[in-house]
Amino acid sequence: MSEKITFKELVDLIAKQSDQSHNSANSFISELVQIIESGLKSEGHVSISGFGKFELRWMNERLGTNPQTGDQITIPGQNKVVFKPYKALREDVNAPYSHLKSEIIDVKNKKSEEVVVPLMRKSGSDDSIDDLIIEKDHPYKKPKEDPEFSEVPLTKFQTQPDPAIVREVQDKGTFNWSFAAAGVIALLAFLLLFYLIQRTPESVSPSMTTQTEVPVTVEPEPTQVDQTDPDSQGEALQGTIESEPQADDLQPESDDLQSGFEFQEYQMSPGESLWSVAESELGNPYLWPLIYHLNQDQLENPNAVPLSTDLDIPVISDPDNLNDFEIDQVALGYLDLYEWNRFNNPDEARYFLWAVGVFSTDLLENLPIEVDAEDLAFATSR
Amino acid sequence: MNQKELINRLSEALDETKVGSKKMLQDTFSVLSDQLKDGKGVSIPNLGTFITKTTPERKVYNPHYDAEMMVPKKRVVEFSPASNLKEEVRDLDTKG
Repeated sequence: MSEKITFKELVDLIAKQSDQSHNSANSFISELVQIIESGLKSEGHVSISGFGKFELRWMNERLGTNPQTGDQITIPGQNKVVFKPYKALREDVNAPYSHLKSEIIDVKNKKSEEVVVPLMRKSGSDDSIDDLIIEKDHPYKKPKEDPEFSEVPLTKFQTQPDPAIVREVQDKGTFNWSFAAAGVIALLAFLLLFYLIQRTPESVSPSMTTQTEVPVTVEPEPTQVDQTDPDSQGEALQGTIESEPQADDLQPESDDLQSGFEFQEYQMSPGESLWSVAESELGNPYLWPLIYHLNQDQLENPNAVPLSTDLDIPVISDPDNLNDFEIDQVALGYLDLYEWNRFNNPDEARYFLWAVGVFSTDLLENLPIEVDAEDLAFATSR
Repeated sequence: MNQKELINRLSEALDETKVGSKKMLQDTFSVLSDQLKDGKGVSIPNLGTFITKTTPERKVYNPHYDAEMMVPKKRVVEFSPASNLKEEVRDLDTKG
């Protein structure tokens, strides 16, 4: 990508975008640069939301060689300016390749092979034989009977202890009720409004009000009905696993929604887990999948987050009373975790799928990915 | 320094309203983002150069999966600071 635009072109574009003169755009940028510089000097970092963060990083003294003479020299410690693009920018820039996903070459069991789309499979190695052996050792079929929750090993998965499930069951109740209540209230309010507006023009004469206001207020209803009705009724009968087209439908929506969060940067310190970060930053540890979901490109393993990771922590309104969008996002987070656990911890994956349903039954009924039929049965039966 | 302080200082320096400065700031960086999105590089005097670069796909070992993984190619933003900015901050004591 050697193509570059000149600074003049950039200033012109900015002037055009913000309806300013070329001169004022120019002076704005030079002020901006000065302020960024002074911010770096005084605080060591400058953050620009939606774009990225400039930071100073101290490079320790190290040994080097003078390339001309070959002599060993000591390079003194110094500050370096680094720029870290935020998620929105990273995703925009990577848009041409966003469809590509990391892929396991050395496949461990058959299931992951089916789901992960092979890009470049290495063939003809001895690994294939090993794979077959491993596959026999780790059959992915799970016992049919319903195991007790205490069977969940708590060593690695401190995130799914008994209370978690109890709490989520409780949450399920409150969530669904608050939805229902909100829906009913909205509908009533709308009807009342509609009534009032229809009545006023009769008593007063001009029809202006009806013509201008009614269309405006009418609009919310169809969308609301759309959201609740067809989803729950139409898809409820559809017990089969969803296919690709639906995934395509869902994707752009979640992208749009993602921009609905405001983010704060957060750096992990020793001893912290996503669980504890969710507890301290979001106010409810059970929302940790949300953090995982929004930072997935940085996190390979949700149970082991590297120390240097800068997390984007969403700003949520109220941890005890999430809005629809936030609940959807949490559900998507559990879905991500289901996918991850399916490959890495297949025995417990289904609990995550079940948690998807706890937060969003719609999502569970319209899964954008393929899931194991037994897992789905487990998740829906509860 | 966060966005809010940045806007405060901008509006002071430019004798502008905060709303106006904020809009200008957002416009500036949305133009920058758009250029980077199109794969174009942008230089800003005294600050540095933003370019995009495509990293080739590569193999990594993932200890958790105990397997090799292929990480796909990716387009990333790269920033190289302007030389005078580098000079300015080089010997600052940021350890405090």
